[in-house]
Amino acid sequence: MIQHTLGEFEELVLLMVAALHDEAYGVVILENLEEKLDRKVNISAVHVALKRLTDKGFLKSRYGGITTDRGGRRKKYYSVTALGKRMLDEQYSLRTSLYKQIPKISFS
Amino acid sequence: MEIYPPKNAVKFLRWFCREDYVEEIEGDLTEIFEKDYKVSQRKASWKFIFSVIKYFRPGFIKSFKSDYQPNHQAMFRHNLLLTYRNFKRYKSSFLINLIGLSTGLACTFLIYLWVSDELNVDRFNSKDNRLFRAMEHRVRATGIWTSPTTPGPLAEALTGDMPEVEHAITATWSQSTTLSLGDKNITTDGRFVGKDFFNMFSYELIAGDANQVLKDKNSIVISDVLARKLFNTTENLIGKAIDYQHESQLQITGIFKSMPVNASDQFEFVASFEKYREGEDWLLSWGNTGTQTLVLLKPGVDVNAFNKKIADYIKVKTNNEITYRTLFLKGYADNYLYGKYENGVLVGGRITYVKLFSIIAVFILLIACINFMNLSTARASRRVKEVGIKKAIGAGRKALIFQYIGESMVMSFLSLLVAMVLVYIFLSQFNIITGKHLSFELDSNRILLFLGVTVFTGIVAGSYPALYLSGFNPATVLKGKLSSSFGELMARKGLVVFQFAISVLFIVSVVVVYKQIEFVQSTNLGYNKNNLVYFNLSGALSKTENQEIMIEEMKKIPGIENVSSTNHNLTGHNGGTSGVEWEGKNPEDRTEFERMIGNYDLIETLGIQMAEGRSFSRNFGTDSSAIIFNQKGIDFMGMKDPIGKVVKLWGEDRHIIGVVNDFHYESLHENFKPVFFILDPNRTYRIMARITAGKEKETISSIESLYKKLNPGFLFEYNFLDTVYQSQYENEQRVAILSKYFAGLAILISCLGLFGLAAFTAERRLKEMGIRKVLGSSELGIVYLLSSDFTKIVFVAIVIALPISYFMARYWLDGFAFSVPLQPWYFIAVGVLAMVIAWLTVGTQAIRAARVNPTLCLKNE
Repeated sequence: MIQHTLGEFEELVLLMVAALHDEAYGVVILENLEEKLDRKVNISAVHVALKRLTDKGFLKSRYGGITTDRGGRRKKYYSVTALGKRMLDEQYSLRTSLYKQIPKISFS
Repeated sequence: MEIYPPKNAVKFLRWFCREDYVEEIEGDLTEIFEKDYKVSQRKASWKFIFSVIKYFRPGFIKSFKSDYQPNHQAMFRHNLLLTYRNFKRYKSSFLINLIGLSTGLACTFLIYLWVSDELNVDRFNSKDNRLFRAMEHRVRATGIWTSPTTPGPLAEALTGDMPEVEHAITATWSQSTTLSLGDKNITTDGRFVGKDFFNMFSYELIAGDANQVLKDKNSIVISDVLARKLFNTTENLIGKAIDYQHESQLQITGIFKSMPVNASDQFEFVASFEKYREGEDWLLSWGNTGTQTLVLLKPGVDVNAFNKKIADYIKVKTNNEITYRTLFLKGYADNYLYGKYENGVLVGGRITYVKLFSIIAVFILLIACINFMNLSTARASRRVKEVGIKKAIGAGRKALIFQYIGESMVMSFLSLLVAMVLVYIFLSQFNIITGKHLSFELDSNRILLFLGVTVFTGIVAGSYPALYLSGFNPATVLKGKLSSSFGELMARKGLVVFQFAISVLFIVSVVVVYKQIEFVQSTNLGYNKNNLVYFNLSGALSKTENQEIMIEEMKKIPGIENVSSTNHNLTGHNGGTSGVEWEGKNPEDRTEFERMIGNYDLIETLGIQMAEGRSFSRNFGTDSSAIIFNQKGIDFMGMKDPIGKVVKLWGEDRHIIGVVNDFHYESLHENFKPVFFILDPNRTYRIMARITAGKEKETISSIESLYKKLNPGFLFEYNFLDTVYQSQYENEQRVAILSKYFAGLAILISCLGLFGLAAFTAERRLKEMGIRKVLGSSELGIVYLLSSDFTKIVFVAIVIALPISYFMARYWLDGFAFSVPLQPWYFIAVGVLAMVIAWLTVGTQAIRAARVNPTLCLKNE
């Protein structure tokens, strides 16, 4: 199996999708990211990340119901796959284990 | 309130974005836009546009290759299969198309072979672009006359004076000569040329060195063919001697390979010009012309500039004595196609025929293409369902166009094969008609051209049906509605009109050309050309006393009615002089009188009628200082009562003893010109004899034995004047025969097309005819109904074509000074003929439709 890697922004998007759980679609992800990161993010960047994550198999998507909002366009909801969850877990454990190795000294 | 994001940006997004992404992206963008809109309309719009542009990158742009990926190989096979089935199903249109296109292509190829051969005549010389012939424009009272003859000293003077000239030589034209080796006599064509001949022309020397072979005065270079005839070999002949005219011996210094057939000068040997110059004092003067001067310029010399430089060369060389002759150089090979001058201006020549036949080829091919177009579109109704269904299940227009063009390509390639066979079969016949030695060798150029023409034909023939058929609206055609619009019908009719107009044009041309040739042959020439045999005097017979003996002996032969000798052959300009002076002559006038130098009885032998006075007679001792003019000559001098008046010829007084009626000594392209006769047996070299009709064979053999007795060692070669006369109109004869064939083909192909259309119409309207018959229509009425449409079309074609053909005929006949009058019945007859042919073609189909049994055709729906 190819060892997939995650870019920083991709990881954030993946985390966000996981956090939003079943309610994640482009605009919500964008808004939450902007709120958490406290900076402007372009929707196209989010879409690029979403496509890549889907291609890597970390995300799956489904269409929402038809509404009159959004010019009649359906929402595309993303959710994390088992592989994506494992990836997040691995990342998390990697980071915490590394974090724990930091000697308890003060940084000045 | 409904709000919408910027329209163009959305459009753009939808255009480029991948289909599986576009819904999500557009939705998200719209949602953001709606939120932003509440803050600022402008900003929201800009942000939207900006975002859309950001998506314009590889990951999101859709593949613009059509999603629909046809299997080309399968489609190709499918199309081929459909084509094959179509051909099989509609055999008659297949055959009509095949015959039409293949004959069209065959014509085009034959004409191409002929044209390319014509264009390559004399182009075999490797230094062709630097090789020129000196020519002269001579101002005369009647206009400027352009002549290829130049003075004898010109070549040497040019080489000496002009640094631009690499070589210049004087040369004679080929003439019949007797060469002999021991007892073996051979009469062959040869010429005398300057020593650099082989450095200028690309005649390949098998033996001998180009710089050396003509250095010696007594050298002769013979062709390999002549060498084989004389010696049965081409090996080790250098230094051998052969007899020239039984007068002198010449040493073989080289052997050249016989020239290609497309060389306009054909000869078997060349000898040194120094030999020819011996004793010919007239060659030393700038005032006399009679030889040709060939010039090879150095590379890079601009011939136009050079021509300006030499324009008054003759004037300079003669110290302003001769001022009316302008010298110029003309491309050696150009003369063949562009040889006709009128009043000092180049007006064409054979190139006219080359162009004419090229145009004919294109038209014949076009007529064949039109057949294909017409039949395909007419039969479109049978294929509309096919087109409708194909379109309904997703065939693009392009695919359909491809299919129909493909179909016509298959057709034209099949025709190509048939055409190749036709060309192969008819080439020898075509060679006889055109007098050429064309071969059907395929080199890469020809293959490319043939393929190109075939592909072009396929595209031209297939384009209209392809565009027409593929343009159907599937919904309407599947419902069964196909109404031919007015425009389409007009187009189809227009094409038929075009075909028939061209055919009528061809037929009129054939009629006019034939009439003119008939006229040429039957017209009263002013002398009697029948049963007139002539032969040249050479060897011992060139002595005047032997000539007199010959004439006296010939008179004793029972089959000979009259005999005389002359310098002229009566088939073309032979030699003129401006040396005639009369009272009141304008000193600037340099009009040349044709000179007829003859013996006693010449006028009687030729059968020329006297208008006034008498002919030369032995009863008068003074006739050697007499002169006889033709009517034109007398008119030209403006004399009244000419008999007994005195004119000066070359400075000597001569009294006029008679006037003859005008007679044609040149082709009928030329008008009558002034001629004089003088009596001077010393300067005649040709005997003419009138033979009793029906006794030609034995008389000729008696003359031959007499000739051999008096002139041993020479072959007796004779000509009948009427055959030589015919050969003057060789070009016209060829045009006549060729245009006869082409006109036949054009009308055949056009009729095939008309036949196809008529058959189709009859078939489609079969039910209508059945109903009409049930309701009581007569057969005649139905025939009339069906043929009236076509009659109109053909009538329009005839009306259009006749005036055009009249002007073309007029133009062609204007090239003759004497031409047959254009009579209205030529045109009426051709029109009626075209109409009758069209009726016959359509009529067969109309009658078939009219004879139909209504119960049979109305039985089934």
